[in-house]
Amino acid sequence: MSGTETGTGTGTEPAARGGSNHASSGLSFRRLLAILFREEWRMHTQLFGGWRFALFPFVIALLTVGATVALVETGTAPGTIVSGLHVLALAFGLYSGTAGFAGSDMLENVFGRLSLLLSSSTTLPLSRRRLLGAFLLKDALFYGVAFVLPMALGSAALDGLSAATPLDVGLFWLSLFLVFAVGMAVTVALIAVRTRGAPTWAIGVAIGLAVLGGWAMGGLSFVQSVLVPMRGSAITAGGLAVGTLIVATGSLAMYDPTYGRPSRTATDRFARLSDVLPIDDAPLVTKTLLDLARSSGGVWKPFVSASILLALVATLVGVVDSITGIAPAPGIFFGGVLGLSAFTTYNWLTQFDSLEDYLTYPVSIADVFRAKRIAFVLVGAPTVAVPYLAAVIWFDATLVDAAVGAVLLAGYALYYYGLTVYIAGFDPNEFLFDAVRFMTFTVGVAVALVPTLVAGFVVVPPSLELAAVLGIGGLVLGIVGVVLSSRAGPRWDARYRAK
Amino acid sequence: MAAIRVEGLRKSYGSVEAVSGMEFTVERGELYGFLGPNGAGKTTTIRTLTGQIRPDAGTVGVLETDPTTEPIETRRRVGILPEQGSPPSFLTPREYLEFVGEVRDLRPERVADQTAAWAERLGFESKLDTLHTDLSRGQQQKVMIAQAFVHEPDVVFIDEPLANLDPLVQEQVKRFLVSYAAGDNAVFVSTHNIDVAEDICTRVGIVADGQLVTERTITDGDAGDESLLELFLDRVNGADARDVPTLERMDGPNA
Repeated sequence: MSGTETGTGTGTEPAARGGSNHASSGLSFRRLLAILFREEWRMHTQLFGGWRFALFPFVIALLTVGATVALVETGTAPGTIVSGLHVLALAFGLYSGTAGFAGSDMLENVFGRLSLLLSSSTTLPLSRRRLLGAFLLKDALFYGVAFVLPMALGSAALDGLSAATPLDVGLFWLSLFLVFAVGMAVTVALIAVRTRGAPTWAIGVAIGLAVLGGWAMGGLSFVQSVLVPMRGSAITAGGLAVGTLIVATGSLAMYDPTYGRPSRTATDRFARLSDVLPIDDAPLVTKTLLDLARSSGGVWKPFVSASILLALVATLVGVVDSITGIAPAPGIFFGGVLGLSAFTTYNWLTQFDSLEDYLTYPVSIADVFRAKRIAFVLVGAPTVAVPYLAAVIWFDATLVDAAVGAVLLAGYALYYYGLTVYIAGFDPNEFLFDAVRFMTFTVGVAVALVPTLVAGFVVVPPSLELAAVLGIGGLVLGIVGVVLSSRAGPRWDARYRAK
Repeated sequence: MAAIRVEGLRKSYGSVEAVSGMEFTVERGELYGFLGPNGAGKTTTIRTLTGQIRPDAGTVGVLETDPTTEPIETRRRVGILPEQGSPPSFLTPREYLEFVGEVRDLRPERVADQTAAWAERLGFESKLDTLHTDLSRGQQQKVMIAQAFVHEPDVVFIDEPLANLDPLVQEQVKRFLVSYAAGDNAVFVSTHNIDVAEDICTRVGIVADGQLVTERTITDGDAGDESLLELFLDRVNGADARDVPTLERMDGPNA
């Protein structure tokens, strides 16, 4: 990005400040980037009291190194760990990738609200396209250093410390960063085609064709050689980097900054839907469901998030199988992992309102949390059931394995949900950047998930005894989740009203 | 008994004291203007009176309820028009008013009647089935005004009632607020707009630094010898307030 694009405004006399790369807006691209960096840093440090955010890279480094050492000690092949870290980097890039499906709603609701700079193109002679380009470049660099770099320290845990460690970590970081950037480029591409009026179904078809294309070109080994650049050739990695750059730049060129959705109308569905729900909180639940259904991407958003999780984990299972020849019990494995989609589902359910909005009505904060839990069950159950069924059929699970996996899926989803609501309240997105809350959540997840995954890998297919133990574990954790989410209301009520 | 009662109210956010010893009462039949500069404690006072936050000290009462200990009952009996944003998101105005009606236990027929009446009164009949998020800010404000009155409450708290409204609708809303208060209800209006306060309020309380610094009764738009603006400037910052720089064109060498 050269920063020479003409602004959308009048382009009055530039006040030459910092850098030689001036645009007609009078603000150089380098200066704009610096301001965006400062805003990003201040936003996070303001939100989490400074040190809690500053600690976050150290938490990631600690988790990565700790998990790597533990996996190596339990006999996991280094290649599997490397692939896993790349899958995580891609998932992190793709996390905001689901925002592509939300299009302008998500972009404006999340970025527009939080970022003064991003929204300033409406009032200042700054090109929105150029601003968005700088914003995304800033995001890539900021998170590439703050989040992806600590992940690269896993390399030191794999190879041990030596004189070559800095170089190894550097190369590992480049590889992870490239995959992370691929995820971000996909985000930009999806948003860009949305602003050109591409319908959701066409985007879905394009993604399906891309998956089929990858499969036709060699399946898993092809995906692995492309998405784990440090394993493939330098030419492949270079090609991926150039391709990512082309996609990102092309998407920015395609992005229509004047895109505005036409006014939408809807027939009255509130009363009918609310009447169907035989509960006291029916209006609150109905509002949440309609908000989800009518925002861009509709009710498919949580399903897409769960499907991305399924695809990433299925790829990882395939990689593990191809390297070690060990395949986990699919029911137990996918039941445990897919429950994690509770976090993204809850995130979607709280994306379009805030607790403050409800405090003008005669409802309590506990009522609001209860309604969100009901909405979570209504939306979350089909959201995870379909990917789970696909996984157990695809990976040929035994009946016992599939049954206990289903119990784990339901119990763990409720547990992860309860954990998220209890720790993060109404803002699940924000706690991703709060070191203390994130660590608490991670430990809470690990306590349930790690033993389950180990059991899923060790006893294949699961014995009846193991199935019974895991089933009881799933039920107990499900109850813990319900208790946690029930206590979240009073907990956040007390916090909010004492503010 | 007063419709709204505030005694020795204190509320701090960390080291910042937002409200420090607020005292006032509002009777039924009054349209009370709560006038003050940014950060004077107006919104904190409203949030305390509607049970959204707990005070650090002092007592508040609204229509024989205690918002601190029974916030739901208080909010059931009052109407609230908040200052911020547009809560209804992806519901249409018709659906949103149904939502408010259900939450407030109103009969569907009554909600439908009220919806039709408010849509006609404020001119958003053609927008009743448009998603709220796609409405202009002025249209959104009209819907929010309707939700505050849909259950015909005895007390209404309004934060900046005329924000984003065109002059025609502003006049309509002002006339409505006056007539609503006259019908033995209490209307509590928090505003920065001195002209509006002078125009419609029966009594005005001026707040600064978290305290009520003075009150003025206004009869038929007559605020007395000293204009409300002069009184405001005097009481908010003393004589210094009159020396605020004017916003003139800056043609100096550094402009």
